[in-house]
Amino acid sequence: MLKKHNILLVEDELELAKSTLAYLSENGFSPFLAKDLKSARKLLKQENFSAVLLDLGLPDGDGMSLIKEIKNAKNEIGLIIVSAKDALEKKVEGLELGADDYLTKPFFFPELNARLKSVIRRLNLEANKEIVLNEITLFPEQMRTLIHGKEIELTAKEFGLLLYFVSNQNRVISKTTLGEFMSSNYADYGFTDDVVYTHIKNLKKKLSVSDADDYIKNVYGVGYKFTVA
Amino acid sequence: MKLLTKTSLNFISASVIFFLVGSIAMYFSVRNIIAEDLKNRLLQQQNEFIYTAQQNKVTDLVSELVFVQTTEKKQLYSFSDTVLIANEKYILYRKLAFSYSQNEQDYKVSILLSQSESDMLIMKIAIMNVGFAMLFFLIMFFVNRHSIKSALGVFYSTIRKLEDFEVNKAEVLTLETAEVDEVRKLNAVFEKMSKQIRQDFISQKEYTENVSHELQTPLAIISSKADELMQADNLSKEQMEQLALLLETTNRLSKINQSLIFLTKIDNRFYTEGATFSLNDLIKEKLTLFAEAIKDKNIQLKVDLSDITHIYMDKYLADTLLMNLIKNALIHNKEGGELSIKLANNTLIISNIGEVLTFAESDIFNRFSRSEHNKKSLGIGLSVVKSICELYDFNLQYNYDGMHHFSINFKK
Repeated sequence: MLKKHNILLVEDELELAKSTLAYLSENGFSPFLAKDLKSARKLLKQENFSAVLLDLGLPDGDGMSLIKEIKNAKNEIGLIIVSAKDALEKKVEGLELGADDYLTKPFFFPELNARLKSVIRRLNLEANKEIVLNEITLFPEQMRTLIHGKEIELTAKEFGLLLYFVSNQNRVISKTTLGEFMSSNYADYGFTDDVVYTHIKNLKKKLSVSDADDYIKNVYGVGYKFTVA
Repeated sequence: MKLLTKTSLNFISASVIFFLVGSIAMYFSVRNIIAEDLKNRLLQQQNEFIYTAQQNKVTDLVSELVFVQTTEKKQLYSFSDTVLIANEKYILYRKLAFSYSQNEQDYKVSILLSQSESDMLIMKIAIMNVGFAMLFFLIMFFVNRHSIKSALGVFYSTIRKLEDFEVNKAEVLTLETAEVDEVRKLNAVFEKMSKQIRQDFISQKEYTENVSHELQTPLAIISSKADELMQADNLSKEQMEQLALLLETTNRLSKINQSLIFLTKIDNRFYTEGATFSLNDLIKEKLTLFAEAIKDKNIQLKVDLSDITHIYMDKYLADTLLMNLIKNALIHNKEGGELSIKLANNTLIISNIGEVLTFAESDIFNRFSRSEHNKKSLGIGLSVVKSICELYDFNLQYNYDGMHHFSINFKK
């Protein structure tokens, strides 16, 4: 079993924080909560974090001020800004200061999870170049997929979908969530349920042709679940 | 017309009129004076003649310009003009004729005086008059022009600064202090106005951001709770469907909120980072992003970017403009339909096959007007296009002839 990644959640909205903490624990992270900048600074000194989820509007100041401190820490900490502000200049400012990603509220948990894993993966280059799940091996950097050690060809969208599912195992992911995920990665194209369906159908077909298990299960026609026993 | 040109033109036209009237008046008065002078000189010569004739015989007094004839009629005196021919040249003379009696005989004496000298004089005076007046007006013109220019220097700098003034930039509008009261007053008004505008802009921006923040966070809570609930093992199909609908609706609400905030930002001239770039390249770049989507729907793509067109606008808005138009043409396209993009004569025309509108054509760019065929669309994309076009004064048109045509003319 891999060591659990410590995640610092800086969020002042209690209900959202509670859900997020629960979600992160379920997904194999060990989350810590800071409700303001002060306690965030304290926790950053006490613990070793792999990543920080940072809200910008905090009761004792702008989260932006924390970015430099996080990025100057001795070990590399991934940083995702999670803000209700969808302002372009905020995004640019945050990313320029050193944030690794920017997520706009409201977000979907699977999306947060996928991005969190991607950020951690990028920071630990040697450790996790590949993702292995039973017969499936994924190389996110090169967008390569091996099944039973044999290379299979996936389109960019299909690869994205598979990586997303692997990052969010055993969870019901609604069509809306999948549609949003695909839109954000592909030019904000208005993905209808039909398009999501088509791509999942194609992905399932390619996986079954290569003798992979049928992991992707339809849930009552409203979503999908990547089931791993 | 520039203020300086206008005042200069006024000055020149007034000068020309006064100069003409003055010159004509002067000409006549000088002529009068000279005619008077000629008359006096003739009368003086008459006196001299009469004085000399007392000691001499009248007929001896005849000279080149003094003629004496015997006459029956007596006359006091009369002036007239006469022409003599000398050396085949016509010379104009002024003639004084009078009667003189000597030894019971009446003589008609005519004394002539050349007018050519005085004509010359008039000409010289006229030339001098024109010359000096011209010089005077020319000097006046340049002095006047220069003085207006320097007096209005601050005014022009104010205009330049107002042109550069951008409400979303942090720098305060500071105008030069002027000597001229009116300009000083104008600058004070502008400075006060710019402060007010900036304040309004900032508070509006803050309001927009607050609305965004205040709405998005509760939406995030709803969406996260719905997602959490969906993970329960014992849900019935109906419960799952309701949760999925809850998630979808929340997402939709958030999208509408974000789009409205974006529209407000465009309308508030929030995006004004301008750059000049090739529209052709940008269209090609955007098309690669949609390549898969085009393939998915089996859409026949016709691209004609023969005219290289450069436009000046905010890059982010240009991206959004193209994305929204292409996206619109794809979403409302038919399976195996057609999408044509043509750029010529500063006009971009994006056409697609699609169902006839289920609302009035004139409503197409209005917020929340959407087709019955695609209920999931927010109905905001095309109003964003319209807002961007309005911001830059681009002419946006829509028409339908079996295909939907959206055209934007970038020429202002």
